[in-house]
Amino acid sequence: MTDQNVEKVAVQTEESRSQSRRTFLKGSAAVAGGVLFTKAASAADGAGYDAKKAVAPYAGKKEITDVLQDGAARKSLGFGVRKYPYGMPSPFEKEVQRRTLEWLTPDSMASITMTPLQSLHGIITPNGLHFERFHGGVPTINPDDHRLVIHGLVERPLIFTMDDLKRFPSVSRIHFVECPANGAMEWKGVQLNSVQWTHGMMSCVEYTGVRLSDLLKEAGIKPEGKWIIPEGADAAGLTRSIPLEIAMDDCFVAYAQNGEALRREQGYPIRLVVPGCEANMWVKYLRRIQVHDVPAQHREETSKYTELMPDGTAQRFSWYMEPNSVITYPSPDFKMQGPGKYYIRGLAWSGRGKVAHVDVSFDGGKNWKEAHFTSPVLDKAWTRFEVEWDWDGSEAFLMSRVTDETGYVQPPMPQMRSLEGTNNVYHRTAMVTWRVHAWEDGKNGGMIENVQY
Amino acid sequence: MFNTKKTFVVAAVATLFAGSASAMSGSSDGAAGDKIDGKYAANYAEIIREADGKYLDKAVIEAILGKDAAHGRDGLEGKLDPANPYSFEVDDSIDGGNHGNAQCKVPAAFVEVHDSVNANFYNDGDFVARGFGTPISEASMAKWNITVDGDGKGLPDPSVGMTVEEGAKVYVQFCGMCHGEFGEGAKGYLPLAVEENLVTSDFYAPAPMKAVGNYWPYATTLFDYIRRTMPFWTPNAPHIGDAGYMGMTGYILQSNYVPMDDEGTELEDDTFFNSEVLMKMNKYMKNQGNFFCDHRPVIHNERCMTNCPDTQVGDGKGDIHNYRQARKLPDGTPQYNVPQRMHEDPPGVGHAGM
Repeated sequence: MTDQNVEKVAVQTEESRSQSRRTFLKGSAAVAGGVLFTKAASAADGAGYDAKKAVAPYAGKKEITDVLQDGAARKSLGFGVRKYPYGMPSPFEKEVQRRTLEWLTPDSMASITMTPLQSLHGIITPNGLHFERFHGGVPTINPDDHRLVIHGLVERPLIFTMDDLKRFPSVSRIHFVECPANGAMEWKGVQLNSVQWTHGMMSCVEYTGVRLSDLLKEAGIKPEGKWIIPEGADAAGLTRSIPLEIAMDDCFVAYAQNGEALRREQGYPIRLVVPGCEANMWVKYLRRIQVHDVPAQHREETSKYTELMPDGTAQRFSWYMEPNSVITYPSPDFKMQGPGKYYIRGLAWSGRGKVAHVDVSFDGGKNWKEAHFTSPVLDKAWTRFEVEWDWDGSEAFLMSRVTDETGYVQPPMPQMRSLEGTNNVYHRTAMVTWRVHAWEDGKNGGMIENVQY
Repeated sequence: MFNTKKTFVVAAVATLFAGSASAMSGSSDGAAGDKIDGKYAANYAEIIREADGKYLDKAVIEAILGKDAAHGRDGLEGKLDPANPYSFEVDDSIDGGNHGNAQCKVPAAFVEVHDSVNANFYNDGDFVARGFGTPISEASMAKWNITVDGDGKGLPDPSVGMTVEEGAKVYVQFCGMCHGEFGEGAKGYLPLAVEENLVTSDFYAPAPMKAVGNYWPYATTLFDYIRRTMPFWTPNAPHIGDAGYMGMTGYILQSNYVPMDDEGTELEDDTFFNSEVLMKMNKYMKNQGNFFCDHRPVIHNERCMTNCPDTQVGDGKGDIHNYRQARKLPDGTPQYNVPQRMHEDPPGVGHAGM
């Protein structure tokens, strides 16, 4: 590669980073403000709270205090109702977006975008920020023309209209949905400094739909029917083979997401929900469920979504997503504001059940402090954790480690790499490390860096 | 899970160890003493319930698989044994089909899943059909049912096909511009025929390219997939038809030097390629013996809180300053995936595309 090329990539990378920075500056000003004050409150001399000191660092800063006179919002009327019949975020949040890395895929129809986890709060992903993954572009399907068929090894092949499906008893559940390639770019080392890139191929929303077991029983499974092969109505006609044990456990056919109809990007009008399992199995634009005696051995379960091991063998029929966790604040999108008290926040999830514990290390895994949960702890859903940290300003290595209710403890990266190699592509579910640079009077700019052991 | 009875896991498991130890020294009538194939605790479900459902807890796994339960790749052999309660493998993985349509299952030790399936399905005696939806005949599904499975069910009649040479023409017309005339890849799209070794000797070297010949376990997948989705811009094209898709499949298999018998006979240009030839080749896909069912969890660590062992700290040897960093490019240090970003290599995350 020529030097010019290297330079060009460096510029691209810098642009991508500064984009993320702007996200922080504009989008997360409120969070940053909170931290600024807590920092001041725990001054280095350890004398405890001192109101004067708390305010002092900003006393001379007009940009902090000059809004204490009535601004434009107090002097004129705002806009009236129905200005936006479908509401949108404040224009000041416009940097909070799904983003993609154009070098990942040759076109935008078979591509992926990542959710800006660094800008999210709680455990629900807004519909407009839900990550996207298409294998053949997004179809715009008229629900009146859409059907779901259940056929194959069943007693009564059935065809359902969307109205038929809504007549069934409904179920609403909050689940995470994660592309098994989440974090794939990090197998051989770190690439980019943002949690959007390292963990953004996932989202967590409330789905409403019909239990798949209800639908399958309605059609009547023949004894030799052991697998279902769901299929999408899009150009990809995506299929996976799912064993009856998973289909009858807790799957459902969803028509709603966060209280409204599914978005087109997520499978409008219906998609399969396979809680805890690879998002690739959550077939969108679901049109057909074939009950079968054997798995279909289709492309998405043989050529792709299988994991190459160092000895040249490959793992197939990988279904459940392992427990995983990540610190979203502070993370490389943010800058430390100086020594003092911080409330480390992040997300933990498990494809096999509820999160039981999250521990956070500040010293690269030597010692751990248990975090508490600030959200409901739900089955196969994101769980938001938080833990207090007094930062003395020295270099620190932040890691989070989840233990789920099955007793599985999230492993460190060197252990996972030694077992699975680096050519897996999928299921990179080991811990990540954020290196907090030493403060040194702000010399290092409060940098937080994605590093890998 | 399991009505949250606060069992103290360690104590419960310790008791179970004692139980199985005594059972091993003689009596074979106690449930705790029975072993599946003489290797695994037959009362695994009981052990798991006693441990409050923590079936992936290190102590629970060792209570069921034995103290020597390996934690790494070395432990895979046991996991590939269908009798192992933690195995995803199925007893009859060779089902007598054309070449062994491999199956996997949810491991028996995932007792919570099986309890749920029993409640929702096998033991659901109260279910009454609601009568929603409209019954249809299987025949009316002919247009939609495009699935071809690993046994070849769903393939077109053997009269449908064309010679490999004709197939090559169709391929060049509809596929070559993205996948290369000889399957070598183009414009960033996946190559279909490469001869790369899949074994990793250097964890930081570029990932091997996975293509039909060196990676795909089934030939049936190829016909199913390209008829289902290709050409990318006009999928499932009627002007190509089953015969055209069959021809493309033949040409791609020929480009990958897939044999069709024990003698290694390869496709000739004038071979009429149809479902029968395809099924012959389905038995000789080079990589088909190298797949195994999901073996996770292989890793089962302790939840250590203070002064953790070096294997769990930093670089795995206790050094927290031995880390890799991203983007050192202006300094001249290489960046990962640079060829992808420069459009010199196919897009992807160190592998052949998404």
